[in-house]
Amino acid sequence: MEVQMKKKRGLRFYLSIYKKILIQDLKSKMSYRADFVISTFGMVLTNISGFITFMILFHNFPSVNGWDYHHMLFLYGFSLIALTPVQCFFDNNWNLRFMVRSGDFIKYCFRPINVFFYFISEVFDVKGLGQFAFGLGTFIYAWNKIGIPVTVVNIAEAVLFLLTASLFMIALMNLAAATCFWIINSGYVMVIMFRFKDFAKYPASIFSGVFRFIFTFLIPIAFVAYYPSLVFVTPDHVPLLSWLSPFIGIAFFYVSYKFWMLGVRRYDFTGS
Amino acid sequence: MANEAVVMKNVSKQFKVLNRHEGLKGSIQDLFSRDYKIVNAVSDVSLTVEKGEIIGYLGPNGAGKSTTIKMMTGVLEPSSGEILVDGRVPYKDRTANSEHIGVVFGQRSQLWWNLPLIESFNLLRDIYLVPEKDYQDMLSLYRSLVDIEPILHKPVRQMSLGQRTLSDILAAFLHNPGIVFLDEPTIGLDVSMKARIRELIKGLNEVKQTTVILTTHDMGDVDALCRRIIIIDEGRKIYDNDIEHLKNYFGSYRTLRMRLGDDSWVEQVIDEKKTDVMHAIKEMQKEHKVKDIQLQEISTEEVIRKIYEGSESA
Amino acid sequence: MTSIRKLTALTRAGVIESLQFRLGTAVTLFANLIYLALVYFLWKAIYDSSGVDAVNGMTFYDTMIYLILATAIFNLLEMFIVWDMSRAIQSGEIIMHLLKPMRYRLYTFWSYSGSHVISFFLTFLPTFIVVAIITKGAIPMGWNLLYFMISLILALIVNYNIEMLVAPICLYTESTWGINIVKETIVLLLSGASIPLAFFPEGFRRVVEYLPFRAVYDIPLTVLLGKNGTDTLQGLLPRLGVQLFWCIVLMILGNLFWNVAVKRITVNGG
Repeated sequence: MEVQMKKKRGLRFYLSIYKKILIQDLKSKMSYRADFVISTFGMVLTNISGFITFMILFHNFPSVNGWDYHHMLFLYGFSLIALTPVQCFFDNNWNLRFMVRSGDFIKYCFRPINVFFYFISEVFDVKGLGQFAFGLGTFIYAWNKIGIPVTVVNIAEAVLFLLTASLFMIALMNLAAATCFWIINSGYVMVIMFRFKDFAKYPASIFSGVFRFIFTFLIPIAFVAYYPSLVFVTPDHVPLLSWLSPFIGIAFFYVSYKFWMLGVRRYDFTGS
Repeated sequence: MANEAVVMKNVSKQFKVLNRHEGLKGSIQDLFSRDYKIVNAVSDVSLTVEKGEIIGYLGPNGAGKSTTIKMMTGVLEPSSGEILVDGRVPYKDRTANSEHIGVVFGQRSQLWWNLPLIESFNLLRDIYLVPEKDYQDMLSLYRSLVDIEPILHKPVRQMSLGQRTLSDILAAFLHNPGIVFLDEPTIGLDVSMKARIRELIKGLNEVKQTTVILTTHDMGDVDALCRRIIIIDEGRKIYDNDIEHLKNYFGSYRTLRMRLGDDSWVEQVIDEKKTDVMHAIKEMQKEHKVKDIQLQEISTEEVIRKIYEGSESA
Repeated sequence: MTSIRKLTALTRAGVIESLQFRLGTAVTLFANLIYLALVYFLWKAIYDSSGVDAVNGMTFYDTMIYLILATAIFNLLEMFIVWDMSRAIQSGEIIMHLLKPMRYRLYTFWSYSGSHVISFFLTFLPTFIVVAIITKGAIPMGWNLLYFMISLILALIVNYNIEMLVAPICLYTESTWGINIVKETIVLLLSGASIPLAFFPEGFRRVVEYLPFRAVYDIPLTVLLGKNGTDTLQGLLPRLGVQLFWCIVLMILGNLFWNVAVKRITVNGG
């Protein structure tokens, strides 16, 4: 009786499943209003605190490495937007190590869909939207002050570069989270990676030698805002790495995804 | 067409486990040591499960039950040997395999924690690409077997353990899989809930001809559902046959209870191959006054306990 | 004597647990070095661009030492009391803690002391030595080291009391992440951990000086660097006094809030 057609699960299938889970999840989140309010307040507060730190710095020092106030603000806004997707869509990575250790992770392996997708789709973090709004405001303000022309090409480029820039932090967190398949208590790896994102908002030109290399190719936070921003800030001399950054982002994300899946395969599920 | 739901041939599974040391000095050692030992979770197990069967897969804690189930579901790769589930090699094509199986781990819900049950069902329908008509038919079948209305709109996190287990079992059958694995489905439930769950499993098996592989510690489950059981201990299969045969195989045991002159009850397990009931009563009467007697067939639970004890001393 | 032994047993258990993180300590150490390099390059660029040697009395070296050691202190002080308590409340385990003979607050403090000892020797001390060597004498090496240790212990107690003041909020809401991030953000900004208080605009700084948070990072680090007259007893004692004052006030407030909150458990039955 196995005349069943080969069922296809393509991109459209996954998008529709994600949309359905997202809508249901938002509905249920609304029923925990106190939690929602406190978390959003916390998120907004971290952004305000970050901004205050930034302002205090520029209250004392008018420019850094040739980047004046508005250029720095542009970088800042760019980094906040590029760091939103990792917060909103990939937050479940933080739960991975608990689930792996308790053995609960196994439940993701019994469905005929991609394990990574299934796991990640389970949590949508609304708090990130506050950061997005904050970042977008800063970005648009700085864009205006610098006087970048508002053209279709520029806007399309901005969207493309923001999207691909966001892949870098997502990939870093995927890699960090997946270490829990090998290391017993891997929380610190995630904490460390997460801390590095604080430096995405500064021009990578301040680093020299080995460290420039490390932050460009090993822990590529320079791609989160600096390289893509150069396309807009210094349109006359854009380095090659800036133009390549979308491709590097996609490749890096793919590698992190493969590593994550390798962890799933390698994990022996003894924790039960 | 093949009639076997599951075929396992000489399957073994080994794990590497880190040797941990005791105390302050030991934990410093562990920082650097690479001292592993090999644990055989499953050794050379062969078995066959026919389609439509409900089979009890039993064994003491740590015997290798879960490891076997994980290999059949494609989560673990066997170290050696062959497994075919519904004609597929589960580990090689986990996704294709998972379309045709359902899995329930007692006390470990696989449903979306925050969603009402019906929304979880709808999502599963979409994930398994179940045609709408089949889906509605399945829901009406559920309604005819259990009273699901009270839990259908309840988020899983607000459910009692019993309701959650019930929901998980229903979710596992939703896409009409050929085989369902139930790992201790009645653990921690009260008597009436256990009965409801057993009835549900039996009903679904009868209507849908679903093969069920059940691991449990509760002999009530076995007596209510399984004709055939497989017992493993320390990774090895030690029994594979009908329950009835099990009782014969281990002698026709009966329990004799006698009320003595002081109104106290004494119990004696009689192996009818060696002695008979009347003889035992006569023996007792030589020393005591016997006022009343009761005879009980030995329960499956007692037989199995005997097997476990036997294999431990062996 | 038995109570001392009980307490040291807890410390020892904490030490073992921390060590069992296998790779953890090594990786954290390495990552901290990279992180410190980030801080170094950022401030180097900032000072280079400004073209002056000192801003608000802080030279580049002062700022570096301050920020690097602030990071080391951050590692040293890191506690997960809010998370622990929230987990204990949600699992009902909190009742067991309340039944234990040692009072919950004291018990928690001593359980953490083990990991404090470990991270002092594994993170703070190596960092300190490296910084002292690299900056060649920018850190004064005299009595200030002793005063710094006293100040650091007071900072630890103030930080613990802040945690303990915040943690019982978990009895009122399940939003552990929210509570924790609000606490951490406020402490890190207003204590001068992310940017030295010396750089704050005048008015803002004056407000912050009346808050307890500077007792955690700003005071011990100022004492270590011997800035703002802390190299004399007249400058030093008032600052230690401020720390001690906040230790006591926060402890009393924490106690009051804890007692009110615990009543909630006994009334609601967990």
